[in-house]
Amino acid sequence: MDLSVLDRLKWLQQQQMVSPEFLQILGSDGREELKRVESYLGNNNDELQSFRHFPEFGPDYDTTDGCISRTSSFQMEPVKNSGHNRAISLQNKRKPEGKTEKREKKKIKAEDETESSMKGKTNMSNTETSSEIQKPDYIHVRARRGEATDRHSLAERARREKISKKMKCLQDIVPGCNKVTGKAGMLDEIINYVQSLQQQVEFLSMKLSVINPELECHIDDLSAKQFQAYFTGLPEADSKQSIMADFRSFPLHQQGSIDYSVLNGTVTISLCSKDQTSSSWETHSQCLYNNSRTDSVSNFFSLK
Amino acid sequence: MERQIINKRKRVFSLQPNKNPKALFARRYVSHLVPALKKINMKKSSSKTNHPSFEKTVKHEVDMAFALSAQEFAWSRFLLQKLLSSVHDDPVRTSSSPSEILERSSKKQGGGKHQDRDEEEGGEIKKRLKELQKLLPGGEEMNMEEILSEIGSYIVCLELQMIVLKSIVQDNIS
Repeated sequence: MDLSVLDRLKWLQQQQMVSPEFLQILGSDGREELKRVESYLGNNNDELQSFRHFPEFGPDYDTTDGCISRTSSFQMEPVKNSGHNRAISLQNKRKPEGKTEKREKKKIKAEDETESSMKGKTNMSNTETSSEIQKPDYIHVRARRGEATDRHSLAERARREKISKKMKCLQDIVPGCNKVTGKAGMLDEIINYVQSLQQQVEFLSMKLSVINPELECHIDDLSAKQFQAYFTGLPEADSKQSIMADFRSFPLHQQGSIDYSVLNGTVTISLCSKDQTSSSWETHSQCLYNNSRTDSVSNFFSLK
Repeated sequence: MERQIINKRKRVFSLQPNKNPKALFARRYVSHLVPALKKINMKKSSSKTNHPSFEKTVKHEVDMAFALSAQEFAWSRFLLQKLLSSVHDDPVRTSSSPSEILERSSKKQGGGKHQDRDEEEGGEIKKRLKELQKLLPGGEEMNMEEILSEIGSYIVCLELQMIVLKSIVQDNIS
C-alpha cells in the first residue's frame, strides 16, 4: 500500500527545504523548460516547487520511462538509462524499448481554457505526478500493452474503473450482492434493497402514528434505551418477527460471518444458531453498529 | 461475564461519539424526530384531527428528521427541498411497486440474440439506473457516477433510520 496523500504531502514539504541542486543539472535550458512547464499549468507555483525537488532522490528514486509511478511511492523500478535520468525525465523523452508496460498519464482538468493547450502534452509525466499529489482531480491511467492510448479511451477506462470501484463498495453495503455478478444483477439487488428499506420505513412510521398517543412517557429515556433495548433484545428476536412479517418473502442473504466482538458470547451464539430469514435482517441491522463495515461506510461519511 | 458485557457496551458508546458517523446520524435523527412527534401529539390532543392526515404528518416528520440528520449528502438536500415544497400537497410516495422489478427480470430472461447481448446489457443497465434514479431523492439530476456514490450513503442512512424507528416503536409497545 503506498503512502497516503497526507504522508506524501509531508514528504514533499520536507523536500522543499532542500536546495534546488536539480536545476544545476538541467542548466539554463532547464530553467526555460521549467518556465514553459509553468506556463502550461498556469501560475501554480506550489506544484512546481515540489516538482523541482521531486527528483532530488535520484539515487534512490529511479524512474522508468521518465514517469514517476503513482502506485509505488518509494519502491523503485530498475531503470534502463539511469545515467541521464533526471535530465531526460524533464525533457519528456520516453524509452519504450524492452518495456512490457507503457505508462501514460493523462490530465483531466476542470478548467476549459487549459484544456486545449494540454491536449498535446500528455507526456508531462513528472509535473502531473507532483501536481497529482496536490491537485487530486487529475486522473492517472495506466495504459497496458496493446491497448489504445488516445485520450478518449483513457477517459473511458478511467471512468469505468471508477464505476466498478463504487460498485464494489456497494457490494459491501447491500447484502446479497456477493452471489450476483455483473452490473445489471447488482443494480437489481440494490434497487430491491432500497425499495424494501423504504417500504419498511413507511411501515414503521405508520406503526408509529398508531401508537403515537402513548409516546410521551417513554421519549425521554429514548436515547439511552434504544441502544440497550437493541442489544439486550436480541434473544427476543422472535417477537420482532411480527414487524418483519411483511418482508419475509424478500430473498435475504444469510449473514455468514458477522463480527460480534462488541456483543457478548451467549448472544452471539443464540443468533448464529437461528436460521430464519427474519433474523438475518436483524443480524444485518446489528452489523451496523459494529466496526466490521466501517471501511465502506466511512468512505461515504468522509465526504466532508 | 456480566461486567464484561457492561464494559463492552460502555466502550461502544463512549469512544468519541462525535466522530462515529453512524452514531452521529442516529443521535441527530432522534433529536429531530422526538420533539417533532411530541409536537404532533400535542396538536392532536388539542384538536381532533382525522386519521389519514395524522399518518401523513407523522410520515412527513419522519422524512424531515431523516433529511435533516444527514446534511452532508446531496440526496438529503434534494429530499429537504421536496419535503418543504410539498408541505401542503400529498406526501411524496418514495416506494415504487415491486411488480416493476418482476417485469424487468422477465424481460431479461425473454432474452435476446447472442450478438445483441452487449447492447441489451447496456440497455438493461440503463433501465436499472433509471429505476435507481427514481428511488433516490434528487436522482434525476445526477449522472451515473454520482448516483452510485450517493446511493451508498442513502442506504446506510436508511438502515440507521430503521433501527431508530424500530427501537422507538418497540419501546412504546413493551
